[in-house]
Amino acid sequence: MFKKLFLGTTEINFKMLGTTFYKIFIVETIIFIAILVASLTGILNMNLSVDFTGGTTYQLDTIYTDDDISDVLTNTILEVSRYQTFENSNTIIFRAVESTQENETQFLNYLANKFEVLPNEIEFQRVGPTFGQDITEKGIRALVIFLSLIALLISFRYEYRYSLIALVALLHDLLLTFSIYVLIGLEITPSTVIALLTILGYSLYDTVILFDKLKDTQKSFKISNLNKDVLNKTFNEVLMRSINTSLTSAIPIISIIVIGNYLGIEGNLADFAIPLLIGIVSGTYSSIFVTVPFLSKIIKT
Amino acid sequence: MKNLIKLMFLPILSIALFSYVYVNSIQPKLGLDLQGGISVILTADEETEPELIEQAVEIMRTRIAAFGEVQEPEISISGENSVLVQLPGLTDQEKALEAVGTTGLLTFRPVINSSLQLGYSPALTYSENPDDPDKPLVSAPSGVDELTGLSINDDPSTTSYLLSLSDGFPIIYELGPAGLTGNDIDDALAVFPNNEWIVQLNFKDESADKFTNLTKELASKTGDQRKLAIVLDEQVISAPSIAFDVNPEIGITGGTASITVGNSDQGESANNLAVILRYGALPVSFERSSIQKVSATLGENTLNLGLQAGLIGLIIVSIFLFFYYRLSGLIAILGLASFGALFYSVIALLGEWQGYTLTLAGIAGVIVSIGLTADSYIVIFEKLKDELKIGRSFSFATEKAVKDAWNTILVADFVSIIASVILYLLAVGPIRGFALTLGLATVFDLFYTRIFISTAVPFAGRINDNPRFYFPLTRKDIESV
Repeated sequence: MFKKLFLGTTEINFKMLGTTFYKIFIVETIIFIAILVASLTGILNMNLSVDFTGGTTYQLDTIYTDDDISDVLTNTILEVSRYQTFENSNTIIFRAVESTQENETQFLNYLANKFEVLPNEIEFQRVGPTFGQDITEKGIRALVIFLSLIALLISFRYEYRYSLIALVALLHDLLLTFSIYVLIGLEITPSTVIALLTILGYSLYDTVILFDKLKDTQKSFKISNLNKDVLNKTFNEVLMRSINTSLTSAIPIISIIVIGNYLGIEGNLADFAIPLLIGIVSGTYSSIFVTVPFLSKIIKT
Repeated sequence: MKNLIKLMFLPILSIALFSYVYVNSIQPKLGLDLQGGISVILTADEETEPELIEQAVEIMRTRIAAFGEVQEPEISISGENSVLVQLPGLTDQEKALEAVGTTGLLTFRPVINSSLQLGYSPALTYSENPDDPDKPLVSAPSGVDELTGLSINDDPSTTSYLLSLSDGFPIIYELGPAGLTGNDIDDALAVFPNNEWIVQLNFKDESADKFTNLTKELASKTGDQRKLAIVLDEQVISAPSIAFDVNPEIGITGGTASITVGNSDQGESANNLAVILRYGALPVSFERSSIQKVSATLGENTLNLGLQAGLIGLIIVSIFLFFYYRLSGLIAILGLASFGALFYSVIALLGEWQGYTLTLAGIAGVIVSIGLTADSYIVIFEKLKDELKIGRSFSFATEKAVKDAWNTILVADFVSIIASVILYLLAVGPIRGFALTLGLATVFDLFYTRIFISTAVPFAGRINDNPRFYFPLTRKDIESV
């Protein structure tokens, strides 16, 4: 089996698989849209970071008990909206809604007293909601320009229908990552927005390499139209590369997550790594199982 | 021979650059998130003119430079109306905010009266208390605190009661509306001409008349009312008297004035006053939309995490490639190592020459690019396998594989480069660092593919034509297809 995979002589009928995965894709789409609508209307809670909502965060290293945390959550100075603790580490992060400067200072001193640390050992961060909004707005602008350029490039080099397929695959990856975030309740930070943009790059990169291979096979068959044989040959041959590439891309990212978790480091890098990993897995899946159903449809017509 | 040069060009270049960087101990310049410090984002009103923001940034730069203890401050305009201030190595948050955050409205206001002569605030009037003669009744005008006798909110356009601490004891001044502001000042210098420290003050041409008129009025008065108070943010910094030889008919003309400070402290207070006059006022008021303090240890941890993750990632990828592609895998490992050395050197040199700071997001970009670079090798090796499968000879297959793969890699990398450029152009702060390293790595990848891999693979193809050296496959496996 392994040898066959490596030689690219697996005989999977992708044309037939396409019908199955088309159904899966439809189901996925319905779920994604449901989650998207639910989170936009507030039925599902998007865990937006302080950068989007505005407020303050306090991070400290200390030995604490569950009682300490519930004390802090019920304090009368500031409304603490969330807290975060970590395995293998004594770090706690409290997030509070926006308030006056006096209250914030008072709360800082309260924490310092409570956990017996010096006030200046507490990492204090104040953020207005504009920062997150700014990043999101710019991200969306970048996205629109990027997608139009890529659609042109793909239409020019391959076929206009390919560019539509690439965009569908890409939306799939973005929505999948977003859905997982909402469902697990992972915090959405500006790093997440950056990571989502990177996923775009990955997803397209993967899809473009596939289209290229498709074009190559077409050439070696000396035909100008996509047919069942070209599709099956290409995808059987390309399976191994897809797996290898996702592995080599995923390994460094997994090592960030594993080492970060082991060292007990919270922060941007981990915020970054998780959506990237989801994106790479999703990108590999979509470059095959989202493109194939649509490519099969092209053959029919 | 030509091929040998091509083959060795990038590895030798990377070793040379790396040695240069190593010998001169040039290290990448670390961003705030990696070395600790304070980062503040200040946002002005949406309609603020860009020129005013630029002016404010200049003033902040000078103020920070006057601090002395910040190593490489970075103050940049981000977006249309925001300023990003990064103060690596600084831990005193209050001090940093003092430097960049205070709007510092500087005004010149005529003195009407002061507590120096009355012994109590000029705002307060005392009347006899019929019930208790020892405790007189106090009344204060609206807007003035009854206890301290100071204005609660200073409004430069009306009379205010403000405190001065500059003489070593508190004085409360009653001040008239502001006659001039910090915007009217062109320059201020502390000088020591005749064994006496003075601050030489120059007004802008268009403001000279305003100053002349103000001094005309003051020169006709005596005592406290001859004084002109310099007020910064509701505090009287200094209240020099108009000299007695100033003619009330003429005033001080020419748009220049000198303030005699005295010799008590070797010119320190003269310098301070000059600095306040020169840079005291930011022309725009900013709102702090984000303050972030990163401790040095947290930064160090993150850097180590990034480096370790990158290194471990590279090692595992190498093992994987070697196990999988054997002799070709070895080429990939050499290529990746050389790529890593070159990339590190370039980042370090960019920091040295261009002031590029490596941030966390930048490191993320590097780590992401490892996968991308490794993929170029994988694409080539897979093409090679395809060629061998259709019965090509080894030397032909290797040549053809690198040629075909180049097109694929070019298109795929192009996607990545477009993404980086757009991200770089449109994004703010952290995203830029990410886009730059990703873009740079992709460009390097193209060079490596074109120059190094394209020569190395055919080169290796000539060493042995047994597929077992290149893939976990025997000749029989390949022929059976």
